[in-house]
Amino acid sequence: MKHYTRYPGNFLIYLFLPFLFTLLIFGMGRFVGGGDAALNFAARTGTTNIIVYEILGSAVWMTSWVVVEDVGVALRDEQMKGTLEQNFLAPVNRFTLLVGMSLTDIVITTGIFFIVVGATLAITLPSSLLSLIPAFLILLVGLIPLFGIGFLFAGFVIRFKEPYIFIQTVNLLFATLTGTYYPVTFLPYWAQFVSGVLPQTYVIDEMRQIILANQTLVNLYGSVFVLLALALAYPILGYGIFKRIEKRAGVTGEFSKY
Amino acid sequence: MKPVEVQLLSKAFETKEGPLLRKTPRTLVAVDKISFSVSKGEIFGLLGPNGAGKTTTIKMLCTLITPSSGDAFVNGFSVMSDQQKVRENLGVMLTGERTLYWKLTGRENLEYFAALYHMEPAYSRKRIEELLGLVGLKERESTFVENYSTGMRIRLSFAKALLNEAPVLLFDEPTSSLDPQSSRLIRDIIRELKEKGHAIILTTHNMEEADLLSDRVAIVDHGKIVTLGPPAELKEKVKSNDIIEIEAKNLSDRVTEALESFSEVSKVAVSSADSAEEKGLLRVHAEKGKEVLPRILEFLVRKQTVITKVSFIEPTLEDVFIAETGRSLRD
Repeated sequence: MKHYTRYPGNFLIYLFLPFLFTLLIFGMGRFVGGGDAALNFAARTGTTNIIVYEILGSAVWMTSWVVVEDVGVALRDEQMKGTLEQNFLAPVNRFTLLVGMSLTDIVITTGIFFIVVGATLAITLPSSLLSLIPAFLILLVGLIPLFGIGFLFAGFVIRFKEPYIFIQTVNLLFATLTGTYYPVTFLPYWAQFVSGVLPQTYVIDEMRQIILANQTLVNLYGSVFVLLALALAYPILGYGIFKRIEKRAGVTGEFSKY
Repeated sequence: MKPVEVQLLSKAFETKEGPLLRKTPRTLVAVDKISFSVSKGEIFGLLGPNGAGKTTTIKMLCTLITPSSGDAFVNGFSVMSDQQKVRENLGVMLTGERTLYWKLTGRENLEYFAALYHMEPAYSRKRIEELLGLVGLKERESTFVENYSTGMRIRLSFAKALLNEAPVLLFDEPTSSLDPQSSRLIRDIIRELKEKGHAIILTTHNMEEADLLSDRVAIVDHGKIVTLGPPAELKEKVKSNDIIEIEAKNLSDRVTEALESFSEVSKVAVSSADSAEEKGLLRVHAEKGKEVLPRILEFLVRKQTVITKVSFIEPTLEDVFIAETGRSLRD
């Protein structure tokens, strides 16, 4: 915690990024979409509240970015600092290290999500403020499969170094495929298939349903069930692959290589 | 079983070399079937030049690198199958100052690692207090490590290795980059740890340090142990020859090779004495050194070598290394 707070710039950017992304999308719709943009938006998304719709997508995307990047890059960060081997010398299992190294940042980012979305709702849709609680629960469940994706990246990063190429590319793909700024139903069929296996798709959709369409978790049980299944599958798969790559790294002596 | 048992431990790295698309696979044997053991209360030195395989051996012992074959046991636990238990029984100091968190203070670094070793908070506070005093960092405990000098960082790294009071301690070049005063402090602490019964493995390319501290030394070259024993015994073996040390300028490989053809000379090794002045240090192992010395000097003068100093010296571990490998440790 102390170590993270000594690099405070990260937290400030997390606070403003969702608003900046939303403004970008809002501006594009307003200035490029023309006079009917708002009407078209309502027809296609089922809501007239563009700001809340987009801020939810942006905030989930940002949180997802942080989790995948933090877990994925945590080891590389330690490797660059020179402290990775020191951590690996301790009698602590790798799972605890991977989660522990990124947890502080993730807790803070999730807290920032709560503030960003809460503030937006308080200003634009105060009647839905209470629905923030079930929506936040969905986000917390949605973090679990993201850890799995992070583990997978942690493995790739040990093997191929250069973490940011992988992670930034995939995070941008996530924004395209998970309905961050538009409904996934407008994507081509094959892309919808990919969306269907990405946890963020369900998190974003369920949160919008809860906040903008007054749905309850019970009404959304089918989608919640899929999210829970992904929350189980991704960590098992991601950690399994990470362990294989990590074992190989012990053979090749990758840990001390930059 | 002794605290450390190393049995035919080997490590080969598969690498690819050459330009992109034309890389050829190559196997680099870093450690080649080495075996040794370390008893309780013993300091065991691994001495050898850079690249000899000392650090790879240490990294295999502390589970950072998986051996290609063989096995090693730390307090009875195998590095191949009981890695977590091995780590619990080890205190390790790896080379370099970037083994700490620079944005944390000295105390915070120790607190972090104490937590990783599952140390009780009350006990770890007491232990950290003790260690900061031991390595002379008590007054700077609240300073960020980024503001420490290199020597202070190395002392803190050394203290980190002692946190969990492990029965087996591995120190990889513990005094490299330290000033003489700090080096002496670290050596004194290592001796105290030996008295307390810790089994200690020390890697160094500093022969004086290996000689001063080690109960037994294994001289390592190209991944193999070329000789092993107490320093005094090893030096005794090379005493049958006189050892002449000649400091000179304009030493060439051809000159040193020619010296080896002298019938009385058994080994010649050259190392750099003063790189700024381009001086070389020639070590000649010779029978009846006093008789052959005038001929050696005459030969060197004839080859336009500028001799600045000549002395007969007592054998050191460097001479053991030269006798075994034909090269200087400082090559």
